[in-house]
Amino acid sequence: MPTPCPTPRKALRPTRRAALHALAAGAAATAAPSAFAQAAAPVRVGYAIARTGPWSVGAQTSQEPNYLLWAEQQNAAGGLDVKGRRRPIEFVASDDRSEIETCVRTYEKLMGSDKVDLVLPPWGSNANFAVAPLANRFQYPFLAPTALSRRLVEMKLPYFFLLLQQPKPMMEALVAMLKAAGARTVATIYVDDLFGLENYAALKVALQGSGMSLVEDKSYPLGVKDLGPVLRSIKDKAPDAFVGLTYPPDTILASRQSREIGFNPRFFYASVGTAFQLYRNVMQAGAEGVLGMGSWNSKRSAAAKAYFDAHVKKFGAQKEPDRWASGHAWAGLEILTAAVAKVGLDRKAIRDFVAAGTHPTAIGDVRFQGSENVGIPGGVGQWQKGEFEIVWPASRATATLVAPKPAWA
Amino acid sequence: VTPTVAWELLATGLVTGGVYALVALGLNLQYGLMRILNVAHGEFLMLGAFLTCSAHTALGVSPLAMMPVAFAALALLGFGIHRLTFRRLAATSPNVDVFEARGLMVAFGLMFLVQNAAQLIWGADLRGYDYLSDSLPIGGGVAFAANKLVLLAVALALAAALIVLLRTTLLGKGVRALMQSPVGAQLVGIDTRRLHPLVFGLGLGLAGVAGCLLSMTYTITPAMGEPYTVTALIVITLGGFGSMGGALFAGLALGVIEAFGMHFTSPSFKAVLSYAVFIAVLLWKPDGLFTRR
Repeated sequence: MPTPCPTPRKALRPTRRAALHALAAGAAATAAPSAFAQAAAPVRVGYAIARTGPWSVGAQTSQEPNYLLWAEQQNAAGGLDVKGRRRPIEFVASDDRSEIETCVRTYEKLMGSDKVDLVLPPWGSNANFAVAPLANRFQYPFLAPTALSRRLVEMKLPYFFLLLQQPKPMMEALVAMLKAAGARTVATIYVDDLFGLENYAALKVALQGSGMSLVEDKSYPLGVKDLGPVLRSIKDKAPDAFVGLTYPPDTILASRQSREIGFNPRFFYASVGTAFQLYRNVMQAGAEGVLGMGSWNSKRSAAAKAYFDAHVKKFGAQKEPDRWASGHAWAGLEILTAAVAKVGLDRKAIRDFVAAGTHPTAIGDVRFQGSENVGIPGGVGQWQKGEFEIVWPASRATATLVAPKPAWA
Repeated sequence: VTPTVAWELLATGLVTGGVYALVALGLNLQYGLMRILNVAHGEFLMLGAFLTCSAHTALGVSPLAMMPVAFAALALLGFGIHRLTFRRLAATSPNVDVFEARGLMVAFGLMFLVQNAAQLIWGADLRGYDYLSDSLPIGGGVAFAANKLVLLAVALALAAALIVLLRTTLLGKGVRALMQSPVGAQLVGIDTRRLHPLVFGLGLGLAGVAGCLLSMTYTITPAMGEPYTVTALIVITLGGFGSMGGALFAGLALGVIEAFGMHFTSPSFKAVLSYAVFIAVLLWKPDGLFTRR
């Protein structure tokens, strides 16, 4: 049986530790008999990310582990390739305590006074919304792995790039899949913040003209502890599909309570967190057939498998990367690595490199139109026999859709 | 509303209300009886949840067996914390009001300390496990996860036990006397130096039990505590400080009102509903529903 709640773990520790890690790895690399690494000045990479507070769940699942893995891998290879010259990565990293103000202030310091060579983004739509204009002003390329907002795209910030698929492609993919599978009615609940509202709006637009009708839509607040009354009223309406535009704790809450009341629609979809290993650990056999936001798994490519294995090797079997944002975070680092190898640390040149080409990554070819990643289409994943398989679109599928969903186990 | 739906909502509300009442009992001992506004109450609940989760997933210990362990561990921690902080405060504060204000500051410190300690030990990940989650029908076409019914049963049993303890035993009378008049209590021979840490430890122990049970039904993180503290504060204010029956009634009533409210509006209005009830009751009965003078 998986053990989702291990005793004290050794993975991620506060700032100094992370920085020391990177430094130590860097030092080791420098000490190694490598002609390139000799006396190379470190590349200083700054970021602030949630290690405490409510954002830390997402940040420590999908984002910071990738930063640490990246630095370790690069330093083990002698350092980051800067136009052919290997230089060790040195992190200037701190906890933003899940506070926008702390986050903004830290990035202002990193870019304004510390003048680090590169920055990596914070976690979440809200923090990116606050920091993106700043990074743009200081002209730091900003490849955000965990921001989902149409408004961020509309701001047209030349230095800002969104790696995740946005609400419109995600909801269009879901609706297309439901339609193809013969669903007629949909009920939805959505968290009443930027993420939930934008996805809800995108879902409504996608449903128009699809032949499917929305029989129930209700919002709920962050930190909700009981969705029972809403789920019971949705159960009475017996929709073909349930769509939860939810965050990880609510994804699990909605699933548990649906199982509790015996609400088992033909399609059960929940958003952030469904692709987490935690979901499978908590729901066990009940995860079978549950749909969610996802875009890759280790079967996708050899590169995806290598990334998955390296992640598990570094952080342990209980910390698999999630099958959605983790892969996009890694893709962002791959693109940044390629950019620096090609054009060095000239930030304008990095920005142009990112904006222009098609970038092969572990999750597929990434290509930007403005700020938006249009290379990876919206996708739907489904838990099947312990793996989160990609079931839509067909071009990226790793398995075929299982429908209707089996009864909750 | 058909009778079936009404019964469903009533049952859902009672189960959720049981959670509220359970969380509130421990704080009620601390604030209601001792004027220690322990805003770190939710953090101690979180500790109980993490202890249970770790023991269950790493060692395979049943969460139900962890209930007394969590109680004892947190109660011991409570004695230690009381000795290190609140005992000194009680000795140096000129009156209860000053003690309350200083105690609040200490509790804030504890909140940060405990939360960050948990973060260091267990990390920030969301955690959870699957235990007693099978659906049990309770009649009328309504079913609940077994772990929630256990939670409700424990909340009812603990509230009943506390009511009996406080009303009928000498210890309970001593505790109540302590609340009514600390000086008077000492004059009639009540050993406040022993009673204080005991009640504080009992409060923390109850938080541990609540955390243990909640870890079966919800996912947990080091930051999970604060909303529970707020809920507990609302419940004990509604019920009347120090009244265990009041806390139980207020918790259950709040749960039921929210369930019906959410059905007719949306969960987004839950906070509005809770606070509307809170304000209305305080306007009507400023000392809470069950305060006895």
